[in-house]
Amino acid sequence: MARSLRLYFRLLSIQLRSQMTFRISFWIDMLTTGLLNVSYFASTYLVLERFGNIAGWTIAELAFIYGMAEISFGLMDMIFSGFDPDWFSNFVRQGALDQLLLRPVNLFAQLFGSRFLLRRLGRILQGALVLAYAFANLPVAWTAPKLAYLPLVIISQIVAMGALFMMGSTLIIWTIQPIEAVNIITYGGVEMMSYPASIYSTWLRGLFTYLVPLVFLNYYPALFFLDRPDPLGFPVFAPFLAPAAAGVMLWLALRFWHFGLTHYQSTGT
Amino acid sequence: MRFFLRIIKLSLLQQTTYRAALAAGLATNFVFGLLRAAVVAALYNSQETVNGLPLQAALTYIAIGQAMIAFLFLFGGYDLMMTVYSGSIAADLVRPVSIFTLWMGRDIGKALVNLVVRGLVLLLVFSLFYPLILPDSPAAWLWTVVSLLLAWLISYAWRFLINVTSFWTPDARGLGRAAFTASQVFSGFLIPLRLYPDWVGQLSQHTPFPAMFNTSLEVYLGLLQGPALWRALINQAAWALGLSLLCFLLLRLGLRRLVIQGG
Repeated sequence: MARSLRLYFRLLSIQLRSQMTFRISFWIDMLTTGLLNVSYFASTYLVLERFGNIAGWTIAELAFIYGMAEISFGLMDMIFSGFDPDWFSNFVRQGALDQLLLRPVNLFAQLFGSRFLLRRLGRILQGALVLAYAFANLPVAWTAPKLAYLPLVIISQIVAMGALFMMGSTLIIWTIQPIEAVNIITYGGVEMMSYPASIYSTWLRGLFTYLVPLVFLNYYPALFFLDRPDPLGFPVFAPFLAPAAAGVMLWLALRFWHFGLTHYQSTGT
Repeated sequence: MRFFLRIIKLSLLQQTTYRAALAAGLATNFVFGLLRAAVVAALYNSQETVNGLPLQAALTYIAIGQAMIAFLFLFGGYDLMMTVYSGSIAADLVRPVSIFTLWMGRDIGKALVNLVVRGLVLLLVFSLFYPLILPDSPAAWLWTVVSLLLAWLISYAWRFLINVTSFWTPDARGLGRAAFTASQVFSGFLIPLRLYPDWVGQLSQHTPFPAMFNTSLEVYLGLLQGPALWRALINQAAWALGLSLLCFLLLRLGLRRLVIQGG
């Protein structure tokens, strides 16, 4: 375990050094990505100027839920770059996975260490800006339990969405081609998480409650942080299910991953 | 002209080869359409009409937007730029047509497939979930088609302009990202322009972006009638012409200094 971690950080430092070769161009690129992405939230902000609220949520409350989802997704996309199904598909097709499997070290350490996209900081920066706006404008009392739970929720979101990436990559062991339906769950999932779940139709909400339980990762915790009542009538402990939901998703993803690996056949390239 | 038709035909064949990718793109566009429609419906809450845009029209607007992403290339594109950076543009430059015409032919082929397979199918599926508005007269259909063709031309010229900057800079992609983000927001693709505060709509009228999308949708929904309709169509035609001329000018200047490396 310690050896695997050491290897991971070793690979990580190599990744970071190579990505930071052109330092100035890297930071400019990151800043522009962040600012450009902010324009998507800005357009929602402007529309809310006309409407006042969305499903009873003010712009600051919306900024909170939106910023949380964006920050977590950005962090996940950076840490789990090696499990991005689109990239993993190329990885498998070129036979690069064979190389990793042949080495006498932990596969996860190698895969996580094989790709760590620092440029995702752009999206993370965007999430941070939106979230900072929310914190500055929310009339919410930040009690100790809330402050303690907040980082836990972000970690849970990273784990849950990372588990989805991992499941999408596992499918590639059989299909080689990336399955676009996975994008619906991952990218569609973060889009869904960026708005109050009460606005969606029953079956769409059902999909993200029972099949892919993403509503417990952002919407319900947000109700707790923002002191909002639950219009959907779930039990009072629903806001605290985020770590459990993430844990279950990760467990399933790992089981599926190991199952997939035992069926791995190289593409022969 | 015969050469131009050949390019279109080749591109049609190429595009229909990847059927699974077409179906997958369709599914993604559809689900995102549902998510976006839910946001708009929630914004309206119990209001029936906002700034002259009824709820049903707004939902139709979102559905058509999702259906037209691939036809109008609303997310932008970097095809020409990639041939500049790889050097394969050299092979295109010896062809008997200008690369403006060449890429237009290639894009028309793609657009036709996307219009039928991704556009029309998506609208059919969408109409099962939300009642969509249809133009009520043959004239309205005609103006919609004219307006959509003009929007397509403006979108093509805009993409071409951005791609041509790669003749001058090795990092035209960054510029492209900014340019295509701007066009997504100010064309009304993200949210209908009428739902923004009035000053945003007025500001965007000074750019070609509304003419790439919002205008055609307003024509389709019958929001523009009489003189307003004429003004909108003339405005689109002017942008199409102006941007195309700019493309030719930039291409001319750019070709003079283009150096193709390697091969």
